[in-house]
This record gives sequence, C-alpha cells and structure tokens, in this order.
Amino acid sequence: MPQIEIAELTKIYSVDRSVITAADNISLKIEKGEFISIVGHSGSGKTTLLSLIGGIIRPTSGRVLYEGTDICSLGDEKLSEYRNEKIGFMFQFASLLPILTAKENVLLPGLFGSQKNMTNERKAMEFLEMVGIGDRANAYPSQLSGGQQRRVAIARALMNEPDVILADEPTGDLDEETEAEIMELFKELNREKKVTFVFITHSLDLAKQAGKQLRMSRGKLAVSEAEPLCAPAL
Amino acid sequence: MPALFFVIGKVLMTKFNFTVVALKNLKRKPFRTGVLVFAISLLVSLIIFSLSFIASVSSSIKKASDRLGADLIVVPIGARGYAEAFLLESKKAEFYMNKNLIDRVKKIEGIEALTYQIYLSTIGGVCCDVEATRIIAFDQESDFIVKPWLKKAIGRGLNKGEAIAGYETNFNLGVELLDLETTIFHNKFKVVGVLEKTGTALDNALVMTEENIKDIVGSGKSPINEGQISLIFTKVKKGFDPYEVGRTVEGNIVEVDVVARSDMGKEILGTLKDINKIFLLSIVLSSILAVFLVWAIFSAIANERSREVGIMRAVGANESHIVKLFIIEVFFIGLAGSLIGLAVGTSVSLSLARGFKLLKNISASLTVLQQAEIAVAGLLIGIIICIAGALMPINRIKKLEPLLAIKEE
Repeated sequence: MPQIEIAELTKIYSVDRSVITAADNISLKIEKGEFISIVGHSGSGKTTLLSLIGGIIRPTSGRVLYEGTDICSLGDEKLSEYRNEKIGFMFQFASLLPILTAKENVLLPGLFGSQKNMTNERKAMEFLEMVGIGDRANAYPSQLSGGQQRRVAIARALMNEPDVILADEPTGDLDEETEAEIMELFKELNREKKVTFVFITHSLDLAKQAGKQLRMSRGKLAVSEAEPLCAPAL
Repeated sequence: MPALFFVIGKVLMTKFNFTVVALKNLKRKPFRTGVLVFAISLLVSLIIFSLSFIASVSSSIKKASDRLGADLIVVPIGARGYAEAFLLESKKAEFYMNKNLIDRVKKIEGIEALTYQIYLSTIGGVCCDVEATRIIAFDQESDFIVKPWLKKAIGRGLNKGEAIAGYETNFNLGVELLDLETTIFHNKFKVVGVLEKTGTALDNALVMTEENIKDIVGSGKSPINEGQISLIFTKVKKGFDPYEVGRTVEGNIVEVDVVARSDMGKEILGTLKDINKIFLLSIVLSSILAVFLVWAIFSAIANERSREVGIMRAVGANESHIVKLFIIEVFFIGLAGSLIGLAVGTSVSLSLARGFKLLKNISASLTVLQQAEIAVAGLLIGIIICIAGALMPINRIKKLEPLLAIKEE
C-alpha cells in the first residue's frame, strides 16, 4: 500500500465571479521514504496540491488516502491530529509566530499534540541544535535572519517526528550556501529516518536532486522519475 | 495588584502551554489590553457599588427591625414616619405622647410585654457640652430592648447620672467619651461605657435611664414635658397575629398609630426599589457597551491574527485549541478587569457610604458572606461579559480553513 494515494483530486476556487481549477483531476501515489520535488509556474497549483496532501484544505472532489485512510472524510479533530502527527509543514514565507521565541515556535506542534511529552523541551532544543541555531533558542523571530527563521521552521516541522514533510519553497529566499545546507539536512533525514519529503521549488537544480520530479501546469500533474535518492521502504 | 499579576504570570509561564501563548498575545498590545481591562473594571465597579448599596441598605433595615426585639411599636398618631426615621436612620425626631397610654395598651388582648422609650436630641450651646446627638431614655424595669446590650457592655444596669454611648456615637461626637463627665441640658452625666454595634438606633445615641429625664425636664431647655414618652415597644403573645393585635390597639386607642416589625422601613425600601431600577438600567447599558467593545476589539484581533491561527491550524491545532487559546486571553482580561473593578467598586462604596446620607444614617454594613457573594457576582459578571463579547469573533476565526487564513495576509 502506498503511504499516500491521491485519486482524481480536484480543487476549484471561486474568486469573485471567476472559477479557478487549482488541481484538476490529479492522481498520484507516494511511497514511504520518497524524496519528491514539484516544479511549475506560479499559479500552476503546486501549493494547492501540497495543501491537499497536508490536509490544510479540503478538495472539491476526489480522495487523499494516507495509509489507506481517506483524510478528506475526517472530522476537524482527526484531521488536525493527522496534520499534527503525520505531517510536518514548511511554508514558503516566514511562518513563525512573532510573539514566541525560536524554541517556543518549535514547541508549538507539541502543544497541540495528543501526547503531552515531558521531554518536548529537550527535543525542541535537539532539533534547534540539529539545524544549527541552538544558541538562538530564546531569540524572537524579529531577532533572527531569514535563514535562521527557515531553520526554526524546519525544526518545527520535525518536532513531532512526522512521517511526511511537505515543504513549500523551503529555500526560497536563502543564499546558496544556506540552501545547500538545508537540502543536505533534508536528504539526511530522508536517508536516515526514512521521512518522506515532498517539496516545491522554482529551482530546477534543486528539483533534480529529488528521486521523483513532479511538474504542475494549470492544475494538471506530470511525473518524471529520476534515480531515487533512497530506496522506498517496503 | 500589578505585582500579583507579575508573580502569577511568572509562575504560569515557567512551562510552555496555552496560558503562555495567551499571556504573550495580551502583552503584545498593552494599550489595547489596558483599554479592555479598564472597560471591564469600570463595569464591575458599577456592579459592586450597586449591589453593595442595595444589599447594605436592605439588610440594614431588616437587621435593625429584627434587632428591635419588639413585635409592635406604638407611636403617637401621625408619628409613624418620624419613629421609623429615628429607629432606622437615626434621624433627629421628637414625638411624644402621654405616658398613661401604656396602661391602655397593656389591657389589649394579645399583648405579652411592653416597655417604653423617650427620645431627645441635644442642642449645641451652653446647656450641653457635647455635639448635637440623640438621647434614648429607657425604663430599666420593663426594658427588653437595651438590657441585653448593656449587659454585654458593662455587665450591669445604669444608675442615675450615668449614660452609655452607642457604638457610632463614640466616634461621631469626636471625643473619647469613656469615663468622661459631660453636661447635657445642664445635668452632669458620667459616660460609663460604649455599646457594641447593634445595627439599631442605639448605635447613634447616648443611652440613659428614664429617671434622668425628670432632671432634664426640670432644666426647661428640652422640648419634652413631664409625663410624656416617645413610643411603646410591645411583644405579642404566642398564637396571636401581630397585625390583628396592632389593629385592635389602633381601634381602641385613637391617639396612637401602630407599626408592625415586618412593616418597618417600607417607605425606604420603596424608594430603594426605584434606585434599584436606575442601577439595573445603568448595569444593563454598561454591560451592552462592554460586550460591544469586547466584540469590536476581538473582531480586530481575529482579523489581525488570522494568519497566525492558520499556521497553528496547519501544525495541528484543532478548532477547540483555537477557542481555548482565545478564551484564556479573554478570561485573563475579564479576571484582571474584575479584580481591579472589585477593588475600585469596594473603595467607592466605602468612601461614598461616608458621605451618602442614607447609608451613613443607616450605619449600613454587610456580612462577610454578603461581601463574598457580591465579589463573586462581580467577578463572574465581568468574566462572562468578556467571554460573551468575544465569542462571535472567536467562532468566526476557528472556522477559517488553515490555508485560507494563511493566505488572507
């Protein structure tokens, strides 16, 4: 069974009086441990597809199955639990809460989790150390650079040790050096912890580093396979 | 108060939890939070003052009439209002009737016991060396009103030439009366003690026995003549209806009116009902205004934070988490406003009570339980109004789809 199976997925937005089909009858299977990139022009529906997989929007029609369970049929509580426990989300913008410190931002998914873990604080520090900003744990987002904020967002996405990380242009506004470091971190997590990665990028170079490359155009999906970076788990 | 909040905040914020996020949200716009807290504190002040006023006046009247210890009060005809004013509000009132009416009242069926009192007011000037105050003279032999208090205060009755000060009199006259030799209507009196607070007219009077009145009458400076009394307190035998006995007294003795204990203070309570309505209207209008203010501010907050809420939803917050987060914020605003309002309302009540004639004369006081009930009511109303105002915006924001909330920016 694939980890994620998308079947005839369609998402239509009504904006003013016009109708926009952001995802048009998409079907896709994602195996556990895959490393997937999505490319496409602005407005091609990449973010919509990622949001549908992540359960942060509901489709107009079609299904998203996670390990056989249709997440589109889940109620608010179960769907939130899915987002909290199975998915780590990274947005294309700085998505940290400005009133919280870096460590508190990382702790945020733990706050909403069903298991209140006493070791959360230690875990958050470990992830901050892992992304290289352990010394800025008590800094507020306004005191961090763009790259540091991205790293905090990565640590937050990892906090609940999700099975899948969905990243919307995770290195969008970063310098080349930081971008390379972050991609290396992703690959390491993918390799060592078998975390499935689906990330959107405008950079073809980055896209090529993925085992599977998806191209979105006007809501439709095209798939091209590349040499996988790690073998899918069986 | 701010120090208390600081300590509570420190304790609550040691671990990362919903309270930490809520308090940080409140801290980010201190002026806006301050406005809300101020508005709620004003409302709660008004509630506390209104409830304290109404409760203290009502309970003081009830307490005073209950503690009189008499079922019926027989007063000169037309003097019912003066008698109530003297007994409940400690107002200056001089009303007299013939002492021989006592025997006629005694003969009425259903009367078990009676005693009488004489009321006087001192006058400023050469005849008296104390400030103008009320004097209550009682008949030591038949009395059942003053004796229990006297026993508690000095453990004995009063002798000729002795007086005892009511609880408030001791302060009102501005002198330390104990063991003081004082002159009233050219007669020297020794003040031998101070009564406990009784919640009755005794609190605002100098109390002495009737035998002293003869000397005062002799001075010619007082308005009273020999053989006159102010009123008769009566106890009704078991099995007799006080109202029925009162009607019989009035029917048989045309020179008197009768006031039943349960009818005492009816006029004041009637006036109080009108004041009550005014307070109620003010509270309702202020509450609506507070709800509207909270609604307006939280609508703005909900719009401002839609992206943050979207982020929280995306990382796993469900609708009830979002509601919880906002409700904690609102609760803290309500709690802080209510606590400040409680302090302000209580201070205003106390300071106004000193200058408010009705409260001052009635020597209004609330029991600890009544004060606690009013405090709890004020706290609850303040918090509930805050939550009521914020509910609609919270309900709107919790329903936003995470991605739409994020993209709204």
